[in-house]
Amino acid sequence: MMQKLRPYLTAFRVRALLETQYRGAALGGLVTQMFFGMVYAYLYSALYAGRDPAGLQATITYVWLQQMFFRALFMSDGELQQQIMTGSLAYTLCRPVDQHLYWISRNLAAQTVGALMRALPMLLVQFLLPADIRMSLPASPLALAQFTISLVLGIFCVSQIQAIGLACVMKTLDHRGLSSMLSLLLMTFSGNVVPLTLFPDSFQQLIRYQPFAQVLDAPIRMYLEGQPMGDWLINLVIQLMWIAALMALGRWMWARQLRNVTVQGG
Amino acid sequence: MRYLYHAMRMNLKSIAQYRASFLMQNIAQFIMVGGEFLAVVVLMTRFSSAGQWRAEEIMFFWGTMQLTFALCECLGRGISTFAYYVGSGDFDTILLRPRPLMQQVVGHRLDPRRLGGMIVGAGAIAMACARLNIVWTLEKLGLTLIAALGGFFLILGLFLIEATVSFFSVRSIEMVNVLTYGGRTTCEYPVDIYPRPLRILFTWVAPFALSMHLPISHVLGKPLFDVPMALVWLAPLTGPVFFLLMTRVWYIGVKHYRSTGT
Repeated sequence: MMQKLRPYLTAFRVRALLETQYRGAALGGLVTQMFFGMVYAYLYSALYAGRDPAGLQATITYVWLQQMFFRALFMSDGELQQQIMTGSLAYTLCRPVDQHLYWISRNLAAQTVGALMRALPMLLVQFLLPADIRMSLPASPLALAQFTISLVLGIFCVSQIQAIGLACVMKTLDHRGLSSMLSLLLMTFSGNVVPLTLFPDSFQQLIRYQPFAQVLDAPIRMYLEGQPMGDWLINLVIQLMWIAALMALGRWMWARQLRNVTVQGG
Repeated sequence: MRYLYHAMRMNLKSIAQYRASFLMQNIAQFIMVGGEFLAVVVLMTRFSSAGQWRAEEIMFFWGTMQLTFALCECLGRGISTFAYYVGSGDFDTILLRPRPLMQQVVGHRLDPRRLGGMIVGAGAIAMACARLNIVWTLEKLGLTLIAALGGFFLILGLFLIEATVSFFSVRSIEMVNVLTYGGRTTCEYPVDIYPRPLRILFTWVAPFALSMHLPISHVLGKPLFDVPMALVWLAPLTGPVFFLLMTRVWYIGVKHYRSTGT
């Protein structure tokens, strides 16, 4: 078993190490995300206009957590696209590994390490912010634990979504249009553009259980208010179910696409 | 200017060769900006006002920004993607040609797929107008037009900062995005809803408030600043002035340009 998993763990480790080298990008991301976080915090302060201070505090915290883990939503790995364009994909396909899992483990590493490299400094910077736009502490230690576990599942979930996205663009040589559309879809429906909690109440049941909400929205809701054990477990099961369903779909699409892939160049 | 006209025509011709792709990309843009439109609609359904502005008025501001920004990305594609030409060495080719430099950079690319974004922006403005029952006079039309023009040049100027930075550092453009894309997100809403630091930043440093918000606030009949009407007409000039200033800075950058070599 361990023997079988080894290539994937190594891929994870190598990609994680690589990600730590992009410190300049992380710093750039940090500045950008801090700016957007502050603008949104002030915007919501204006929109709430003194009504419902608790709601405003929750929304500000929601915004900050979204900004902290923004990198996880961002599909940056254009490597496979490049390989398809240049033809070096042929070498990758020669590797005796499951291509989908191999890509997922690399993607997981990039998303996790990339997100942590931005989230941890942002957490420290929070102390320097004016109190009215600072994020609040988790509802309870239990809420923090629930959040953390759910967030790990969330990152698994986003990797599956991104693998599906990649399968969609594999056919086209110029992937930029479709890619940016997919990432916008992901950002809108995972709550990065507008907190999903602000959607009309009649939509709430629909919007919280769709797959994109499992990535960051579900964990953040736990952070904001801890959930009773039963509800929490149901939430985790929903996350796991989506991961399984998306993974099955992704694997099917990958198998189809890779069978028909054209190796370009010479 | 003749060069620019010629370059743009060539660009259009080359795009006309890929009609299906052009259509697809426009639909994609339409959906993307439509997603952002959805976001504003959600917020405005929830809160129904921001500061002194009603939902429809916010929609007007939002639409103007989207329209202007999309127009900028369409016509100013050569500037907004300039960093790539420095990275790839394409800028060397441009330097060699005996034609005005800035015109060449602007004429280097055209991005008509932004049409989708422009349509959403224009649609938002139209929707806002219909709900607000604005009585259109020549003056109001003129103010809207110069707001769009002022904003257009201002955003081009901001993209030029990114372009200038790319002479000194091929990477880390992301940070400069704060001014362009951050400016767009912030100034989709009128500046007076924000606290002082942001107001100062977007009034005096990147003057979105002067070039766009002030004239539009007059169109909506709720003046943003208490200034004489003549100044309201002159304020959008800050956009072109900013652009010219940044062009000078960019030319200084060109002097420091060292080819990346290939």
